[in-house]
Amino acid sequence: MADSKAVTLRTRKFMTNRLLSRRQFVIDVLHPGRANVSKSELKEKLASLYEVKDANCIFVFKFRTHFGGGKSTGFGLIYDNLDAAKKYEPKYRLIRNGLATKVEKSRKQMKERKNRAKKIRGVKKTKAGDAAKKK
Amino acid sequence: MSGQRESSETLARKDAPRLLSLLKEMKEGLDVVKSKVEAITVKVKQDKFRTAEGISYLEAKHLLLLSYCQSIVYYLLRKAKGLSIEGHPVVRNLVEIRLFLEKIRPIDKKLDYQIQKLTKAAEGGPDEIMTGDKKELNKSQTEEDPLKFRPNPDMLVSKSAPEEGAGGVYRPPKFAPTAMDDDDKISKEEKQALRREKALLQQSKQNSFVNELMSNFEDRPEEVREIVGAESRELTRYLAKREAKERQEEELFTRAPITRREKKLEKHMTKSRNGLLGMTDGFYDDVKMLPLEERENDGPTEYSAMERGGKRNKKRKVRVGNGSVPLTQTALVMYRCVFFYFFFSLSKHLLYSSDEVCC
Repeated sequence: MADSKAVTLRTRKFMTNRLLSRRQFVIDVLHPGRANVSKSELKEKLASLYEVKDANCIFVFKFRTHFGGGKSTGFGLIYDNLDAAKKYEPKYRLIRNGLATKVEKSRKQMKERKNRAKKIRGVKKTKAGDAAKKK
Repeated sequence: MSGQRESSETLARKDAPRLLSLLKEMKEGLDVVKSKVEAITVKVKQDKFRTAEGISYLEAKHLLLLSYCQSIVYYLLRKAKGLSIEGHPVVRNLVEIRLFLEKIRPIDKKLDYQIQKLTKAAEGGPDEIMTGDKKELNKSQTEEDPLKFRPNPDMLVSKSAPEEGAGGVYRPPKFAPTAMDDDDKISKEEKQALRREKALLQQSKQNSFVNELMSNFEDRPEEVREIVGAESRELTRYLAKREAKERQEEELFTRAPITRREKKLEKHMTKSRNGLLGMTDGFYDDVKMLPLEERENDGPTEYSAMERGGKRNKKRKVRVGNGSVPLTQTALVMYRCVFFYFFFSLSKHLLYSSDEVCC
């Protein structure tokens, strides 16, 4: 992808969150003439800006383009290490970054299992019991 | 004299059958009472029922009823024997006792509850009763029964004793009704001061100097926006609202979900000529004077609160200059007018802005 025009990044409301071992901020992206900037590109730019060793620790999300185009605002987080990221980030963001995989659960199977479990009371709702019932 | 006797005899013959029936009834009643009383007296004589201490009121009532019955019997006796009853003290006695009985009736009603309880107690615990007082309530009945309505001093809660809430929180005792702070207490000066502050806040929000200061603080990049023509009111309002919302979102580091209505509004705003809508606001007023044929009467569509109404309020769109359709004369004239107006307003604005710069 070639940038026809320059993309400017600017961070605001920078805060170091010691409790969650991360740095969080608001990102302003100026991209006149372009529709939107992809998250991967933003991550690269942030990595160079903040000298982050592992680009996997950067998460950007909730980007919204301003009225009229050319500018978008979103949020960004940079974790201190990968373990902290895996601990504190919600699953869907980890999946977006490639740090976790989505478990494809068949919705129908889950509902059936739940309905079966409704009929039993207590600790007996084990998988063995369910498997037996499945037959 | 013979006439009188004859009349009395005829009267007697008429009343005779009624008298007979009444007498029969009386006899039957008396027989029943007699048998019951005899049974009770036998039992009392055997010392099964103690009549030493009872409710004195009931005793009095019994005595009254007895004397009433006696008087009635004597009255009937005299009548049966043909003796006159004029001025006999029996009549007076009867009336008196009747009066007493009537007066006793409300007391009877009031005491009914107590008497019931006592009788229940008497039936329930024969051991205690044997010792003596029937008036002693026995506590063998522990379950809640509706007859246990008596004042319980243990349930009284002292009003003044403070209650310690969890965690040592002080809660004021609630025993008198209190009124909330009403607005009437705010004096006129205070109200005016509040209003002045509010107005000041409003004005400062729109002041450009203050906005510059704030943007410096906020550490945002400087923005220079080109405003061509007058921005329509709704657009400025919409932008202001959006900015306020975004500021809040950044504060909280979250995003509020966009509703369907908001999406519609944004679409409308972007489609409506990118903010140049305000330019042609006064257009139709000017064009009304021109004698154009087949001019469609369409006003600008405003997405304001008044215009809601869905499909009812949908106005037909002016489709002019579609590539395939040849432009009509009227469309050409309209376009020319638009261009003139555009240049005119632009020049006006440029003149004004230059004036400001000079000053």
